Amino acid sequence: MPDDIAEVYRNTYPALVRFLYRKVWDQGRAEDLAQEAFARALVHRPENTRGWLFVVAANMARDEARRAAREKRHLTLLKSEPDAVHSAPEDEIDADTQRVRVRAALDQLTPRDREALLLWDSGLSYDEIAAQTGLARGAIGTTLARARRRLVEAYDAAGEGGQHVARG
Amino acid sequence: MTQQGKEDSMSHVDEGALHAYLDGELPSAERAALEAHIAQCESCRAQLVEERALLDRANALLGAARPLERPVPSFEQLRRAPKRSPWRVRTPVAWAASIVLALGSGYYLASMRAYRVAPEAAAPIAVAMDQRLADKARDSAEVPQARRLAREERAERPRATPADERAFGQAVALGRVDSGALKVATSAEPLNNARPPETPQPTSGVARQREADSLAASDRAAASALPSAPAARMQQQDVLTVRKPSANTWPRIDRQTATAILGEDPVGLPDLTTRTFRRSPDRDGIVVVEQELDARTVIQIFQQSARANSSRIDSLVAEGYQYHLEADRRDRLARFVGKLRVEIGGPVSVDSLNRLLEQVGRLP
Repeated sequence: MPDDIAEVYRNTYPALVRFLYRKVWDQGRAEDLAQEAFARALVHRPENTRGWLFVVAANMARDEARRAAREKRHLTLLKSEPDAVHSAPEDEIDADTQRVRVRAALDQLTPRDREALLLWDSGLSYDEIAAQTGLARGAIGTTLARARRRLVEAYDAAGEGGQHVARG
Repeated sequence: MTQQGKEDSMSHVDEGALHAYLDGELPSAERAALEAHIAQCESCRAQLVEERALLDRANALLGAARPLERPVPSFEQLRRAPKRSPWRVRTPVAWAASIVLALGSGYYLASMRAYRVAPEAAAPIAVAMDQRLADKARDSAEVPQARRLAREERAERPRATPADERAFGQAVALGRVDSGALKVATSAEPLNNARPPETPQPTSGVARQREADSLAASDRAAASALPSAPAARMQQQDVLTVRKPSANTWPRIDRQTATAILGEDPVGLPDLTTRTFRRSPDRDGIVVVEQELDARTVIQIFQQSARANSSRIDSLVAEGYQYHLEADRRDRLARFVGKLRVEIGGPVSVDSLNRLLEQVGRLP
């Protein structure tokens, strides 16, 4: 029997938004796409709703990226989030800078490594990641290890040029 | 401890296995072998510590690139195409709503973690059960199963614990966490009371009201609105809830990692000894600094970058975190220290907490 989508919705929506956000880098757009994915799930009633959602979301994000690439040539800096009431403007810039740098670092991963890392960070298990990416389950640990290392290295390498890094 | 030659004869652990171990995703047989090896292999132990630092760092970076966690829009909004009968959708929603009411808002928070541990047949994080019902149902073979699940899950919690902290981790797994689980279970009672304990079946007012509209849909909701497999097995149990683990069991991090998460140095009471830094398992940017007031009294100083997401921590305070405090019979007060929103908690009076909070500042 198909999962109860309302239940999956509550449990998975924030994770799906997070997953999409790292792909489209726009909060509103990520939320729209996540809701669109759930709306489609309501129509399709897939057996494994969660897994299905992430597959659909990944496809939507890819289409979105292609479209965005056609429409805009320049990289839009992330807008400052209106909700962050407590922040001073400089903090916004700091946070944005860090986000942009993490984004740049993520871009340096191979698509497969990045996908595994983002799926893990969205709460998928190794089994689910394996199903999604086609990797063997036994290879997920190695993939994540490599992805994490490259992410940190790319981030640090970018920081060595000018700005200071919150380096551990 | 062991001879070098003996160590070398064993194959060392590769980083993939270490990451799987740290992620809590290593199958139990391999996990046991890895732990056995690490217990006697210094170089692998060192590597584990390194990999954990890497993992924490990568998580912190990803945390810096996360969206704001805004409230989840109502599920109703999703139903744009009215191809099917509205009740088909609404009934499960009404159902879900009644469960949410029954469990209280903590459920949502906890459920955000639930999927992280969901892989093994959706085993819940912690199975909090109504103690009275549990007692009543003690003879049922299902309850030990429930407890076992809960304990296993708990035992897995210190999965980010490196070998050098293994003794501590085991203590947590065997002793402290068990009592923690009990605390959680007990504290779940008021929530359970919100719903008659004898009605695990979907006969809430709302659901019943909908029955006339679509019996079939309501049946489907009955089966699917309940949490999956393990839950269904535990029929005697009133309500299954997943709980955010108490901050005592949050993953330990070092100060540098805390700094990376917060975007600046963590704060605390400059005069006290700092015992531990921990991070929230939810990657929500919350760090807790544990300091000793004296040898037996630990003060917890929760902090999160104010710019990160103020509404998020506010809602945590209002819901999950406050909840823990009630469970621990403690009070917590909050204020801003520089750019950090700071809360303090500990087994001392509100007055003392208040005074301590005033002294929170840069750690030496």
